[in-house]
Amino acid sequence: MTDRPRSYTTEGVVIRRRNLGDADAILTIFSLQHGKFDAIAKGVRKPASRMRGHLEPLTRVQAHLARGRTLDVFTQAESIEAHRALKSDLDRVNLALYCAELADRFTIDRVEQRPVYELLVDVLKALDGGASALAARYFEIHLLAISGYEAQVDVCAICRQKLPEEESLFSGPAGGLVCRQCRPSATSGRILSVRAIKVLRFARTVSVAEFDTLRVSDALAHELQAALADLIHQVIDRELNTSRYMDELDRASRIPALSANHVQSAQSTNDSPEL
Amino acid sequence: MAEGSSTPEPIQRLVEAFHRLPGIGPKSAQRLAYHILRTSEQEAGALARAILDVKERIRLCSQCLNITEADPCAFCQDPRRDRSVVCVVEQPLDVLAIERSGGYRGLYHVLHGVLNPMEGIGPEHIHVRELVLRLQAGEIHEVIMATNPSLEGEATAMYIQRLIGPAGVKVTRLARGLPSGADLEYTDDVTLARAIEGRQEL
Repeated sequence: MTDRPRSYTTEGVVIRRRNLGDADAILTIFSLQHGKFDAIAKGVRKPASRMRGHLEPLTRVQAHLARGRTLDVFTQAESIEAHRALKSDLDRVNLALYCAELADRFTIDRVEQRPVYELLVDVLKALDGGASALAARYFEIHLLAISGYEAQVDVCAICRQKLPEEESLFSGPAGGLVCRQCRPSATSGRILSVRAIKVLRFARTVSVAEFDTLRVSDALAHELQAALADLIHQVIDRELNTSRYMDELDRASRIPALSANHVQSAQSTNDSPEL
Repeated sequence: MAEGSSTPEPIQRLVEAFHRLPGIGPKSAQRLAYHILRTSEQEAGALARAILDVKERIRLCSQCLNITEADPCAFCQDPRRDRSVVCVVEQPLDVLAIERSGGYRGLYHVLHGVLNPMEGIGPEHIHVRELVLRLQAGEIHEVIMATNPSLEGEATAMYIQRLIGPAGVKVTRLARGLPSGADLEYTDDVTLARAIEGRQEL
């Protein structure tokens, strides 16, 4: 590959960061032109680094890179969209990181994936503008479709018969809704309400901004999340770090934090700290 | 590793031990091991004892979780420090950095980590619960969040704010803006926007 230029410019979203050595970091960037890849940002953890703020995760950035022996090295970076509002909201930053991790898991290194990139950019923009968790559902639905795992919501995922307008079994292993006749042959699944099915269909035809105008109850939001999680689990077959993190936050938030009557019970479980 | 079977076993073991340290590659590990081999017995003994002492005599302060030899630590025992303010930091090294600045006279709380959604590290992995317990004693009126201004540090600050803010404790965040010697041209939008928001009259 001697004909490749020694440096190149690309636009991308920083989807992950791992520290390397004293002051460097390995960033995973999802780029428009080259797909997803890892690259080294040297000295990015020093306060004097000029790239530091531009290469924070979830930032859309214009980057200049030099070819390295194993990993390429960032030489310049300038943010296009910092998504500042998104980063200052605990829930939305988690949803955005979840989408970023999904994009990471669903794609292969160095393969251009413009539709996924555009989807990620749209969803991050929506979240930055105040979108709810529905934006993450939108991302899941479309990412699955782009990757060839589109949820079957019009016809039965097994026999391909058109489905009547009624609550139906949604099966992850089958790849979508299953009709009454095929239900015994689906290995696992959950019943989805008519409303949830309509929401899944609606997501395919609208933009993320329009989809986010839907008002859904907590129960319906949970229904959608669980169904799509089943489908995603079929594809990646591994727990996502961000899902594990959000579950932990959820568990922690159920413990009342600072109420007077909690003092006793909390102190009794206080183990002595260890190094 | 490049060490062949011709290398005596104790040296090989030392090389491997050095190699496990952060930032030490196989060549550096070899160089360090052979350096130890050449030093006097007293010097090598002193190094070995220093390592053991750190593990045996250093523990976490039961109040602020900073590393200390005496429990409670010197900061928590000092009567001249303001006991109504707690500064929350990620690592023990951050305590040293803030002390060096000379601008803070309150207490500390060391989390020993930071929330990291990308690595799946949640609140159960850091010392947040101990902070909540300290606040329940009611003596603390302000919590200063001094986690790093990175995505992870911000997430941690926001999480702790959400956890303890409703109880009426004042939660503040270190100011963000331009570091001294910075170049406006290269500053990212987030930092610049914060710097403008937090501007002060000359």
